[in-house]
Amino acid sequence: MFQTITSLRCLATLAGGIGLWALQTLPAQAVPSFSRQTGQECATCHIGSFGPQLTPYGMKFKLEGYTESNGKGPLVPLSGMLVASSTHTSKDQSGDAGPHAGPNDNTVIQEVSGFLAGRLTDHLGSFTQVTYSGIERKVALDNLDLRFTQNLKLGDTETLVGVTLNNNPTVQDPFNTQPAWRFPYMGSELAPGPAAAPLLNGGLGQQVLGASLYGLWNDSIYAELGAYGGSSYDTLKAFNITKAIRLDGLSPYARIGYFKDLRKQAFGGGLVAMQSALKQDGTSRTDKYQDIGLDGWYQWLGNRQHIFTLHGSYLHEDQTRDASYDLGAAENRKGKLDRLDLGGSYHFDQSYGVTLGYFNINGDSDGGLYAPEPDSGSLNGSPNSNGWTVQADWTRFGKENSWGAPWANVRLGLQYTAYGKFNGASRDYDGSGRDASDNNTLFGFLWTAF
Amino acid sequence: MVLFMVMQQENLKSLLLALLLVAPGFSHAGDAGKGLSVFEEECGDCHAAKAGKNKKGPSLFGVVGRKAGTIADFGKYSDAMKNSGITWSRDKLDAYITHPKEVVSGGKMKYDGLAKASDRGDLLEFLAAQR
Repeated sequence: MFQTITSLRCLATLAGGIGLWALQTLPAQAVPSFSRQTGQECATCHIGSFGPQLTPYGMKFKLEGYTESNGKGPLVPLSGMLVASSTHTSKDQSGDAGPHAGPNDNTVIQEVSGFLAGRLTDHLGSFTQVTYSGIERKVALDNLDLRFTQNLKLGDTETLVGVTLNNNPTVQDPFNTQPAWRFPYMGSELAPGPAAAPLLNGGLGQQVLGASLYGLWNDSIYAELGAYGGSSYDTLKAFNITKAIRLDGLSPYARIGYFKDLRKQAFGGGLVAMQSALKQDGTSRTDKYQDIGLDGWYQWLGNRQHIFTLHGSYLHEDQTRDASYDLGAAENRKGKLDRLDLGGSYHFDQSYGVTLGYFNINGDSDGGLYAPEPDSGSLNGSPNSNGWTVQADWTRFGKENSWGAPWANVRLGLQYTAYGKFNGASRDYDGSGRDASDNNTLFGFLWTAF
Repeated sequence: MVLFMVMQQENLKSLLLALLLVAPGFSHAGDAGKGLSVFEEECGDCHAAKAGKNKKGPSLFGVVGRKAGTIADFGKYSDAMKNSGITWSRDKLDAYITHPKEVVSGGKMKYDGLAKASDRGDLLEFLAAQR
């Protein structure tokens, strides 16, 4: 019986606090096949000459379905990527940081990815990523975003319409304010992360398949409407993905945004919404999640010598946890969870960058969902966490006259995350004597793409 | 007396020239250094100033004096551009950069135009030096 309760609690923690997993599987997009296809240097589409932070040009390239070409691109748009990293936390973790890692100071080949990324036909493009995880030591399908697009005229106004088929809500989003492509763009997979995150914050990534119809009117108003369904056990197994959640029916997804490209500067903002229901074994009822978010961003681009950006997003989630409550994994049927992200960056000469980000997770306490457990649990049942991340990076190549362009692409980065509160408290947050600051993380990485 | 009248005419010409130079829309002699900055701000995403480097748009190396739509290995010209019959003089470039769609109706370039005359002057000075 104790084992059953424990496993249900683990399941609920997984469903309700999938943010930890999301944080540990940060996507990484930097794809030189796009550059080979278009003749554009990486810096045209990416702030700091390296993915995934997009310039307005990059946003439009994505919305156009990765199909833009100078007519000389490769027939099969293939790319590769390798990330090596080193992680140090202020205090050793109580157990090993990963299945093949020690409790601290781990240096690993974090991931090796292959991409089918670029134009397949005049109107069809792909961003498909298969990744070998050096943490789990297995190969699996990572991100999938297939697009079909068409340029139309509505009256005298140019309008782009498209369809995206993807496996991670917000991976299709062109702005760097939504969870899939938000700062930090690279992070440690071997450091503790907060237990709680709204479901839209990566909780469905790779577990679902969705399609949405989108339009960009007059290069300024963006709207998208679609739905996601759960992938079957057999489908996920075919792509070497472990099934972690069961979606009940279809989950509608909607996004609306405005952006303005003034060439020397650009700005935008919008709303996102999604509704999901998750099934659990042992009950016919479901856990329901309603997410709604607000975001905004600004970029000063100038002559590209000094680039400043600001970005912010707020995501609110209402949870109705009938299944978890029935199964004893949650103490309360209803709860809410909010996440705020703010940040800004400066890049000099498209090569040297510094980015500062702040996050705040705030929600209703629940001793069932957020139970005491060494390192990852909460003594007071609170999901509240906050902290800062600062990153300095250097990107040697990726400019118009760079050596080896567009094949040679390297970013070196050093990142530090400091927690003010972790899973509900600053001191002894897990009931095992661990403080929030014990999870402060120094993370160095070498990120290369070819 | 004749000399005085000639001097008056010369002054009048200078005055008219000065008025033309400051008049909106007139492309004055620019600063190539500032023009590089304007190029990076307005053009560099889609065009290179390097010989043989075509991006979304054709290379602008040697564009002043070139016949429109004639870079052999750039295959994305619109029919409107190829058939325009334009040779890119400074004046023609100035007019095109001001209102692209008015000069080449049916062209592909997605650019609304550069309104500030001094920026266009600087840009043209930079482009003229790219040869």
